[in-house]
Amino acid sequence: MHSILAVDDSASMRQMVSFTLKNAGFTVVEAVDGQDAWEKASTRDFNLVLTDQNMPRMDGISLTKKLRENARFKTTPILILTTESSDEMKQKGRAAGATGWLVKPFDPTKLIEVIGKVIR
Amino acid sequence: MADTHSPGPGAAGIDLTQFYQVFFEEAGENLATMEQMLLGLDLTHAGDEELNAIFRCAHSVKGGAATFGFADVAELTHQMETLLDKLRRHELEPQTRMVDVLLAAGDALKAQLARHQGAGGDAVDTRALIADIAQLAAGGAPSAAGAAATGPASLASSTAAAPPAAPPAASGERLLELTVGPLPDPATADNLLDLFKEIAELGTMEPLDAGQSADGMRRFKVVTRSSDNDLLDLFTFHVPREALKLGPLTPGYGFHRNAPGAPKEQADQGYGFFSDAPGAPIAAAAASAAGQAPARSEARAPVSKPAERAGTLESSTLRVSVDKVDQLINLVGELVITQAVLAQTSLQLDANQHQQLTAGLADLQRNTRDLQEAVMSIRMIPMSVVFSRYPRMLRDLAAKLGKKVELVMQGEATELDKGLVEKITDPLTHLVRNSCDHGIESPEERIAQRKSAHGTITLAASHQGGSILIEVRDDGRGLSRAKLLAKARERGIDAPDTLSDAEVWALIFAPGFSTADVVTDVSGRGVGMDVVKQNIASLNGSVEIDSAEGYGMSVKVRLPLTLAIMDGMSIGVGDECYILPLSSVVESFQVEPGMIRTIGSANRVVQVREEYMPVIDLEGVFTVPRSEAQDGNGIMVIVEAEGARVAVLVDELLGQQQVVVKNLESNYRKVANVSGATIMGDGRVALILDVGALVRLSRH
Repeated sequence: MHSILAVDDSASMRQMVSFTLKNAGFTVVEAVDGQDAWEKASTRDFNLVLTDQNMPRMDGISLTKKLRENARFKTTPILILTTESSDEMKQKGRAAGATGWLVKPFDPTKLIEVIGKVIR
Repeated sequence: MADTHSPGPGAAGIDLTQFYQVFFEEAGENLATMEQMLLGLDLTHAGDEELNAIFRCAHSVKGGAATFGFADVAELTHQMETLLDKLRRHELEPQTRMVDVLLAAGDALKAQLARHQGAGGDAVDTRALIADIAQLAAGGAPSAAGAAATGPASLASSTAAAPPAAPPAASGERLLELTVGPLPDPATADNLLDLFKEIAELGTMEPLDAGQSADGMRRFKVVTRSSDNDLLDLFTFHVPREALKLGPLTPGYGFHRNAPGAPKEQADQGYGFFSDAPGAPIAAAAASAAGQAPARSEARAPVSKPAERAGTLESSTLRVSVDKVDQLINLVGELVITQAVLAQTSLQLDANQHQQLTAGLADLQRNTRDLQEAVMSIRMIPMSVVFSRYPRMLRDLAAKLGKKVELVMQGEATELDKGLVEKITDPLTHLVRNSCDHGIESPEERIAQRKSAHGTITLAASHQGGSILIEVRDDGRGLSRAKLLAKARERGIDAPDTLSDAEVWALIFAPGFSTADVVTDVSGRGVGMDVVKQNIASLNGSVEIDSAEGYGMSVKVRLPLTLAIMDGMSIGVGDECYILPLSSVVESFQVEPGMIRTIGSANRVVQVREEYMPVIDLEGVFTVPRSEAQDGNGIMVIVEAEGARVAVLVDELLGQQQVVVKNLESNYRKVANVSGATIMGDGRVALILDVGALVRLSRH
């Protein structure tokens, strides 16, 4: 079964994402911010990382950079969730090594659709 | 809005309403944090970390509101976010005016959220607020001068549709996405289609998601030349404005070309993959894919932000409904009683013969007490929950009164039972308001008296033994002994000059004795201190006043830590045992023959020093026969409630003890003059007397 690391500082978003992904048959590990995610990623591998951008302690871009520095996460798809759909954010994501972005708000159907494109 | 929608047969099949409650709680917390941080913001030296944190609050609420379909909340937070974003990027300098507007917006959001939670009421009109925020956001940005060429008036209308209108295409025709819902009956949305078709020049409209979606929302693709406002006005024929959302048609995700894991197709649909990033689903040019992107990022040092306490807290806390906790407290209460019964029973046994049993019972007693304390502590919440509302309230009040007030809070971490916290909020608010309204002088008056122009109100909480002490202190004009005495005499209260200061201050607790008349010349709501005292007394608490004219006043409120356990005095009448709340007991004494006099037909009074007070005969109230031997003598217990004292005639004083309060109403029915019941160590049920009711009884 594919496992996904879902990172968001908002409990309601985390709950929604986690519920949706579990419903679709993925294993989900939740993290409350980049730092928490980084600690969780150091103990195990994931097939995909889905992270919010704006979070306390460590944001999504910084998390992406850190993950990419680690050999185990060099090719893992990393998607950044953001309400900031500006080109600036996209470029920052790209520079950090993110695989793609997903603009908030999105509905559960769209989330599964996008994840389906990178995990098979 | 909170109606549940049957989930559509969409791929995910998920009903979003199940996440509403978490969202509401989270949004409430974010708004409270934002308000607190705005109030604490130092406008001249606003820190990046603070501005960022405030931004994140608005941002987080917006994200959730947009996801869960609360369009009005998303719209307002979107505007706030725009302003806050400019502030955190230092494109604008923070101003008092911005804080004011953001605070007002926070209030509006709370009202909107309350409405979505079913509080009822009319839709909150936020148009003026949104226009204000937009104006402030546009105001300070020099580069935006061209873009913001439109005046404030037109800003108001153009921002009424959120998210901001999609950019017009060259032809003037725009591609929009209309989101409708949540609606009690999603099919109502189809009326919009028909409506649209009737008006040919509008353009075209067709359903997205095959007219269905998982969350009860309906989406339509709209191609039009009309403005957002015209469209929305039209649609509100069939669907409430707050259920409509119009925005550019975007898919909401994307992949970067050649990114690791990015898929082959590159439609711009609101998400995307970077073509050369790791994990992108294609076949990005084989050689570079894995190596290139990471290599680039290795050159950069990871930028992590300084630690913040909010982040970790959440993962280590658990939300549980109050009902569950109360059930636990109830069960522990039962356990305490059972333990007490066992302990009492074991006293009749020979300790030498039952050593193991005695040792076991001692362990049980200790563990039960520890368990009780641990369970009670679950219901304890910090006083900061109450205190946090005052900075805002005082800010507004001081501004209205033209006063300068600084609020100092101490001991916010002091914990108190949740039930008490809810009940103490109103009396405390009265006290704080009184201090600002009647205590603190105007800046001119203060300077004339060689005080600093800023008045200080101190709120302090601390634990003292088994109770909590909350103090509201101000350095204002204080109480005037002479004025209070004069006022009391005017009211017909006997107030000789020989009264001690404490007795004089206590006069303001007399019913109808408005502090406003005495303490200040400011007309206004002189909150009856008698009401405050009564409220606190009903929580088994007490109030104490201290003051020095010209230097200020202090009101100390003492409360038990919890309502579930009470310090009681057990008294015996005949074979029955009753409990009096210890906090209401003033004194007790042996009755001497002739002390009790009968007035009229059946009213009896007793003289205690200079004061006569009514005698309450529990024998008569509860029709229990007193023991014969005691008849005529017995013991008098003076109790106080609602500003009056009565003497309760009992046979004997049995002792003082902590009792677990059981609600009689929920277990049996309401009984007059009784506030609850408890089970004594010997297994007997004892009624807890309602002293307030006894005092009222004596008046009839």
